[in-house]
Amino acid sequence: MVLGIGLVFMLAPLVLVFASSTHTTSTLQLQGLQWLPGDQFVQNYGRIFSFQAGFTDEITPLGMLENSLIIAFSVAFLTTVLSLLTAYAIVFFRLPGKHIIFWFVLVTLLFPLESRFINTFSVASSLGLINTHAGIVLPALAAALGTFFFRQFFMTLPKELIEAASLDGAGPFKFLKDIVLPLSFSRAGAIFVIAFMIGWNQYLWPLMISTDDSLYTLVRGIRFIGQESGPGMAMVVITMLPPFILLLVFQRWFFNSLSAQS
Amino acid sequence: MSKVQLTNVRKTYPNGAEAVRGVDMEIESGEFIVFVGPSGCGKSTLLRMVAGLESVTSGQVLIDDRLINDVSPAERDVAMVFQNYALYPHMTVRGNMSYGLKNRGLPKAEIDQKVTEAAKMLRIGDFLDRQPSQLSGGQRQRVAMGRAIVREPKVFLFDEPLSNLDAKLRVQMRIEIKRLQRRMNVTSIYVTHDQTEAMTLADRLAVVNDGKIEQMGSPIDLYNNPATLFVASFIGSPQVNLLPATFDGQHLISGDLKLSGFGDLPTSTELVLGIRPDELRLDESGPFLLRVDIVEQHGSDNLIYGGVLGAMNDGDQETEFCFKTSQDMLPDLDSTLKLGFNDERAMVFNKVTGERLR
Ligand SMILES: Nc1ncnc2c1ncn2[C@@H]1O[C@H](COP(=O)(O)OP(=O)(O)O)[C@@H](O)[C@H]1O
Ligand SMILES: [Mg+2]
Repeated sequence: MVLGIGLVFMLAPLVLVFASSTHTTSTLQLQGLQWLPGDQFVQNYGRIFSFQAGFTDEITPLGMLENSLIIAFSVAFLTTVLSLLTAYAIVFFRLPGKHIIFWFVLVTLLFPLESRFINTFSVASSLGLINTHAGIVLPALAAALGTFFFRQFFMTLPKELIEAASLDGAGPFKFLKDIVLPLSFSRAGAIFVIAFMIGWNQYLWPLMISTDDSLYTLVRGIRFIGQESGPGMAMVVITMLPPFILLLVFQRWFFNSLSAQS
Repeated sequence: MSKVQLTNVRKTYPNGAEAVRGVDMEIESGEFIVFVGPSGCGKSTLLRMVAGLESVTSGQVLIDDRLINDVSPAERDVAMVFQNYALYPHMTVRGNMSYGLKNRGLPKAEIDQKVTEAAKMLRIGDFLDRQPSQLSGGQRQRVAMGRAIVREPKVFLFDEPLSNLDAKLRVQMRIEIKRLQRRMNVTSIYVTHDQTEAMTLADRLAVVNDGKIEQMGSPIDLYNNPATLFVASFIGSPQVNLLPATFDGQHLISGDLKLSGFGDLPTSTELVLGIRPDELRLDESGPFLLRVDIVEQHGSDNLIYGGVLGAMNDGDQETEFCFKTSQDMLPDLDSTLKLGFNDERAMVFNKVTGERLR
């Protein structure tokens, strides 16, 4: 029952956005958002692909899609790899002060990126990262979340596993490659999806770090077309699509690793 | 076929815990050695130092006269079976068994042949393509053994490998381990807290207490001639009966009881008399009066437990005896039995130091 209500609340905006994206701008402006599909699907979605925007330089929605994909994939990939390796080192090796390292990583979870904008910005600018993809990607890495997630999983593995492997002639690298990675596969998929969404949905930070219009992402680009227009709605739908597809592809892994501990 | 030698081996963990306090031992080629002792006495630590999984704080570990203190576990050529099996969960049985060989760069045909052979010996040939999660506890145990066997190591190490199995399977696997070890004739060290396992498996067993070897010898030797009170009470099931006593020059005195047949004992020391449950016998002129509390029927024999009337108590605990007798002996509860004992076989210990005096 509660689940049902929740589902309605979550699905309703999606239906609303999709239905509205098939109406003319004037319909939307005169009569508000639409719950039923209209007849402007081809026109609205077609418009997006012939659209250009920008003050300093030109950017098309396809260009924005490319930026979004580059950024989201980089965030996802780097987050997954970095946090897996960090957690691996923390859990499986007798590092001096490893608990301190872990808590330090964890504490960064407490401060959202927004709360450290100014500092991050000055660091990024001194590294020459303004107006680059790297500048958008690096501060957004969700490494703390991922490290925590992998650490919790690694702790459930019996310590005898690495001992058995070392007697079997597998050093740290082989143990990672042959044992830990295959066991972490589905969890890595889940972190990848979550980090992809974080990277994809970024808004404020890209706005600050990039002034070039060529670095526009889809999420930012919606503004150009205007949200209350038919094509704007179509753009919103297109923006939502890639994370959705990714989730569909990864869903089995995703739910397996987030629910059952097996 | 390899010798293992420990010389004054010690282990202090970084947190200050002194787990092993000076152990000397020589293990002959092909011997089956069991470390037995209560939980926390340092058995696993000792074993893990031989495996190379724990560093040696001081002393020397040698395999075939080669000092291996600083040799990595892989290069020591030992194989270990863990209590929780530690199988690689994502690999098949075959994968688990061949992993170590693969890492050594053996040709695939040879690996296959060794795995097949070991699987046949352990009767897991039908499961080679299953994953560990699809196997029962006993089968997993066999796979863990298989993983050790295929490596053909110099030394087998077992850390309580049967503790996770139910009682019946435990007995079955115990016999199988013994048979395998005989057949392969590989030097083996086996850790357990279960004295029955220890007695039945060992060529020689080492009783470990508080980080030291209390006594080492063949099981029957340790049973018949325990050097200390600790060994006497740890080896033997049911446990040896212990009676606090003192010596007055002629008799052992315990409360109102006066036991003759003893001589040449210190008079000013607190003593403990030890009598195995099967050394007691019904005897109208015997010194002990047992008030029957519990009768356990084990089938072929009965164990009768009860307080010894008139005996000196150990602290505020009544001294209890266990009397092992035949299955037709069924006294009523709270009735009394008159018991005598074989004073030739009785043992006397110094209560404080635990040293055997007689
Ligand atoms: N990694 C460790 N760090 C600190 N102390 C330990 C560690 N492992 C074992 N100990 C301590 O060393 C002693 C012996 O442990 P262990 O060898 O595991 O005993 P056993 O196997 O006989 O039960 C225990 O007091 C235990 O608390
Ligand atoms: Mg142990």
